[in-house]
Parts: sequence; structure tokens; C-alpha cells
Amino acid sequence: MNKSTSIFGGVTIIALALIVLMPILLPSVTLATEILIFALAALACNLLLGYTGLLSFGQGIFFGGGAYSASLVMLHLDFGLISALITAILVGASLALIVGALAIRRTGIYFVMLTLSFSQMAYFLAYTFSDWTGGDNGLLDVPRPALTLFGITISDLQSSEAFYIFVAAVFAIVFVFARRVIHSPFGTTLVAIRENEGRSSAVGFSTNHFKLVAFVISGAITGLAGALYAMLLNFAPLSNVELLMSENILIMTIIGGTGSLIGSIFGAGAIVMMGDLLSSIWPRWMMILGAALIAVVLFLPGGLWGGIISLTSKLSSIKVKKNLTSEVTK
Amino acid sequence: MINKYLKHTALAFSITAASCVAMAQEDAVTIYGVKSLSGSFASYGKYADMGSKLAVEQYGQVLGKTPSYKAIDTEGNAGKALRKVQEAISQNSAKFFDGGTLSSTSLAIGKEVHKSGGVFITPAGADELTGVDCNASTFRWSVPTYGAIRETVIPLLKEHPEKKRWYTITPQYVFGEALLSNAKTVFDELGIEHVGNSYHSLQEQEFSGYVTNAMAAQPDVLLLLNFGSQSSNALRQAINFGLKNQMTILLTWSSGLDQFQELGADITENVYFGAQYWHSVDTPLNNKLVKEVKEAYGITPNYPLAADYISTKLLLDAIVEAGTTTPGDVIKALEGKSYEGPTGTETVRAADHQVLKNYYLLKGKSASEMKNADDFAEIVSYGKSFPDESSLECKGM
Repeated sequence: MNKSTSIFGGVTIIALALIVLMPILLPSVTLATEILIFALAALACNLLLGYTGLLSFGQGIFFGGGAYSASLVMLHLDFGLISALITAILVGASLALIVGALAIRRTGIYFVMLTLSFSQMAYFLAYTFSDWTGGDNGLLDVPRPALTLFGITISDLQSSEAFYIFVAAVFAIVFVFARRVIHSPFGTTLVAIRENEGRSSAVGFSTNHFKLVAFVISGAITGLAGALYAMLLNFAPLSNVELLMSENILIMTIIGGTGSLIGSIFGAGAIVMMGDLLSSIWPRWMMILGAALIAVVLFLPGGLWGGIISLTSKLSSIKVKKNLTSEVTK
Repeated sequence: MINKYLKHTALAFSITAASCVAMAQEDAVTIYGVKSLSGSFASYGKYADMGSKLAVEQYGQVLGKTPSYKAIDTEGNAGKALRKVQEAISQNSAKFFDGGTLSSTSLAIGKEVHKSGGVFITPAGADELTGVDCNASTFRWSVPTYGAIRETVIPLLKEHPEKKRWYTITPQYVFGEALLSNAKTVFDELGIEHVGNSYHSLQEQEFSGYVTNAMAAQPDVLLLLNFGSQSSNALRQAINFGLKNQMTILLTWSSGLDQFQELGADITENVYFGAQYWHSVDTPLNNKLVKEVKEAYGITPNYPLAADYISTKLLLDAIVEAGTTTPGDVIKALEGKSYEGPTGTETVRAADHQVLKNYYLLKGKSASEMKNADDFAEIVSYGKSFPDESSLECKGM
């Protein structure tokens, strides 16, 4: 394992540096927290889209499922922070297991259509069971419990800074876990499935099982992100489970760069900040988002992170050329 | 030596003066307007923003300082709105908020502002704001569904006592259910036969199926209980199906002038509309508001503009009356306050923080009857109907 693919080196260092810098460089800590939460969701989507080649419009189901389940167990069963997050992870994974088990039976456009249908179904379920979800008004009074380990309260997480540190720690753990997954034989198989599913199947891999496991991992992480979002806002809006949420997570993944976990931070950062900065300047700012997406797809197929990588390699090749020229002239 | 002393003294004075100015700036009242400036409700938020801005600009001094206004764009998303409000509270120590188009946004913001001990005035539609989810910080300007139904259904029946068979089209969510439940109560009281109801989802835009169901039930009145673009589409399709010639149509919760402008007189003619505000209401504050809005923006004020104008003005009035920016004192000044609003004398009920104001029943004019481009409707009746204090669901004060 070389430096760039090492679990704790390479992009992990860059991710950690970004986590440290974001609250300092951005206008507010809550903005940085929102970016990290959506980066988690985009990272989970990247496991599907970037590494397995599955374009899922169902991410909102897991995000909303995580938000509602964590909120409900905290509100009605007095669950603490960790147990509520574990619930969200389990609910996200279970929902992904159900959706995935049916959706991965089809490929291509049919797979996309199935995830779309599940997404609509989940929205109407949340909308109909308003006694549980708050319906259109959303689920109010969601608590943000203190971080307690072995009976010792480490932080009450009430300040935005404390909650950011907690979310950052969760993000770092998930990032390292995701890196471990993609560099494992399992991750390599996922990439093989993405590149050529038929050939992967021919060499003996049960591709559907691999895809289902990827789906479950992605659902679990997205559920975790949803729970953190509900805790950030003290509120679980119906928009969490809307199709628009799935679209936003997908756009973040594509803009950040499919197939690069670090790209998730860039993608989430770009979309959240774009909304924050541009919306007050121009009400039709979503047009810029559309143009940005077209530009990324046409000119930066590797997304923002891919663009940064190619720029750095171009700069370093220019530097090498210059050095060679100066050595030759000497 | 003297020069050195003078220099030091001047420097000390400058520093003191600068800090005083800085302190004065910190203490100046800032109203944070939570508006949907982008996203799907941008057309509403634009006018709401104009209303709040105008109220602050024209107010003059508040506690000896010029008040300022900052808009917070909700992007039409409750989550985004809430996060931005949290930011304003934690970074700028924001205390005074108004606006919030969507019920979900207003409910969540009301809770957040209450947690931080601020004040929030909203014109949002959710009855929960002054009902089960009420709190000491949240005030609501618009009439609840109870009043909207009573001030439209009862006067319409008085005008047409022979129309006893009513059909309803209802959006199936909290707001729609509240309107329907109040309508059913009034139907029972007045001996109206409820010949049928069609539920539709929050995302529905195609109403022909519901309209044909209504036609089949042969009612005397079609009561539309939806809002915004859904009510406009439902009305348009009902008229395309020729329902206006077969029955009376009442759209109980219209968005006012902008909806008339969007639909046009051909559609609104002879249709009844319920409205929170109408620009031709002859009250001192409304006459002043119409004049000021025409001067400032060259338009006639509509509901979002008037609602956010008066919410902002009310907030500033209460701060002046309290003589302080301490939210607790401002809340006390607001509770029970009677003032001249755009709909006449309005009162803030202390028990649930609901503003008691008039609700209007309008009837669409034909294009030939219109005296000017905005004269879409005549006021048929108006009045104040609110649940009795003993029956309030609000227990959080």
C-alpha cells in the first residue's frame, strides 16, 4: 500500500486538514457543520455511484429515514446520542436492504426508475403518517442529547462549535472506514463490477450480493447523516425525504467528483455555499447550479477534485519540463 | 510635553468615541426578515421582503437609533431557513424576526427563536403556531382556519340561503384538514348538506378528476380548500369545465391580489374569495400603506407585502413601547396590544399570541366593472371570528 492509498495518509490527511480549516475559513460554524453532514451523504452516494456504478435516486429515503428514526427514538424513547445514531444507521441500512434487494434485480435505466419510485413512495408514506412524521409541518422539538460515554458526559453539544467537533469526528471515522472499504478486496470487486459487471460475474463473483452490500453500507451512512442533520436543526422537515434531497445528494457527488471520497467534501461545500451566497444576490441562483453541473459533466468529468488533481499534475509536469530544460542548457 | 499630553488626550477621546459609536451600532435594533427570496416561493417572498423593508425604512428612530433590516433567504426550504436563523442568533445575537412563508418554516423558526429568547411575528397559515405548538416568543398575524371558514361560508350562505348543497376539494395535509374540519362544523351548524369531498395530495396540479367528481355530485356551492398554485389550478380547471355556470365557487383561502392578477378577471368574475387583506379596505393605516407602497414601488400592496409590513411595524412599535430591546419586555408590550392595522383595529390576544383582525369575503368583478387594473373584487363582507379563549389548544404561554 503506497502513501496515496494508505488509509490514514494521502487524501485522509487532506480531508482532516479541510475539517480543521472549514470552521475557520467559512462565515459560520453551522454552515461548516451542514457541509460536513451533506459531505457524509455525498460520500455514501459516491460508494454507489463512483465505485459501484449505481445511480440511485433513493438516497433521500435513507437520509429521511435516519432523520425520522433518530428523532422519534429520542422524542418517545428517551434515547441518548449514540443510541439514536446507531438506530439511524440501522434504519438507513434496513431501508437500503429493502430498496436495494428489489432495485438491483434490474440494471441501467430500470434500476434508476425503481429507486425513483421508491423515493416517491417514501415521500408519500412520510406525508401520510403525519402523526409520526409531523407530515408537511415536519417533526419539531428534536433534541440534541449530550455526548455521554460510560456514564461520563463529555460535552452537552449545545454550542455550534461543540456540535461541529462531534460531527467532524464522526465524519473522520466514516471517511477512514469508507477508505478501508474501497481499498479492500470487496471495494476492488465493486470497481470491477462498475467497469464490467458481466465479466465480474463470469469470473465467479455474485455481483448482486456485492451491489446489495454496497447499497446497505451507503444507506447506513446516509441514515447517519440524516440523524445528524435533524440534531443540527432540532427539526426533521419533510423535505429530507423529498426527491429533491436525493437529487441534491447526487449533484453534490457528481460536482465533487465521482470515484473520489474527498470530492464529497468539495461537492457538498460547493452546493451548500452556492445556495448560501448566491441566493441572497440572485433569486434564480439555481440556474447557476444547472450551468455548473453542465460545466462539470462536460469539462471536468472527475468533478472538482478531479480538476484539482489534473491541475496539480499539469503544474508539476511543467515544473519537471522546466527543470529538464535548465539541466540541458547547463 | 503639553503637545504630548494633548495628543494622548485626543487619542483617548477618539478611542472612547469610537467605542461609543461601536456600542451604539451594536445596540441599534435589527429586524431579521425570514423570506423566501429564492426557490419555489420566491414570488411571495419578494413582496414580503418589500413590505418589511418599507416598514423599517419609513419608521424613523427606534430608541434613539435608526433601525436596520436584514433579509434571511429561506431558499423555500425549512431546513435551510432554520440553519440561517441559528447563524443569525449565534453570530449576530439576533433577537427580532418576522416572516416565514411556509408553515413548516414558521413552526421550526418559532421554536428556535423561543429557545434563544427572541421574538418572532409570522403571517403563516398553520394553526399550530397559536395552537398546540404555541410559545411565548411566537406571534401570528393571519386569521386561523377557524375564522377563514366562518367569515366566508356563513356570509355566503346569508347571501344565497337557497344554496344548501356544498362540495369540498381539500389538500390532504394538516392545513387542508383544519379547513375541512372547520367547514364541517359550520355545515352542521347551518344545516348545509355536505354532498362530497375530494382529497388531493400536496403535489397535485391536475384537478380535472376532482372537478368531474364535484360535477357529478351536483352541489350548489363548490368550496375550494386548497392554497396557492393548487387553488389557482383547481379554479382554472373548474371554470374550463363550465362549473361557474352550474354552481357558486368559493375559494376560502386566497393569496389576495397576486392571485387575482395571475388568474385574470375572466376567471375570477363572480367567484367568491376569502382574503386576509385587500388593498381597497378603507382604514387609516391601509390608506397610508397603499399611498406609501405606490410611491416607493409603484404597485398596489398585496397580501404578503401588507402582512410583512404590519408584522415588522408591530415589532418596532412594541420595542418603542417597551423602551428596551429586551425580548421579554417586548413580548409583554405586544401581549394585549391594540393598534391600527391595515384591516382596522387589530389586537394581539395575550392567551395565544394570535392577532385578532378582520377576514374578508370578496366577489370577483367582471373586467368591465373594474375601475383600475387592480380593482378585481368587491368586498362582500368582513368580520372577526376566533376560537373562544376557553377552547384554545395553546398551553405554552
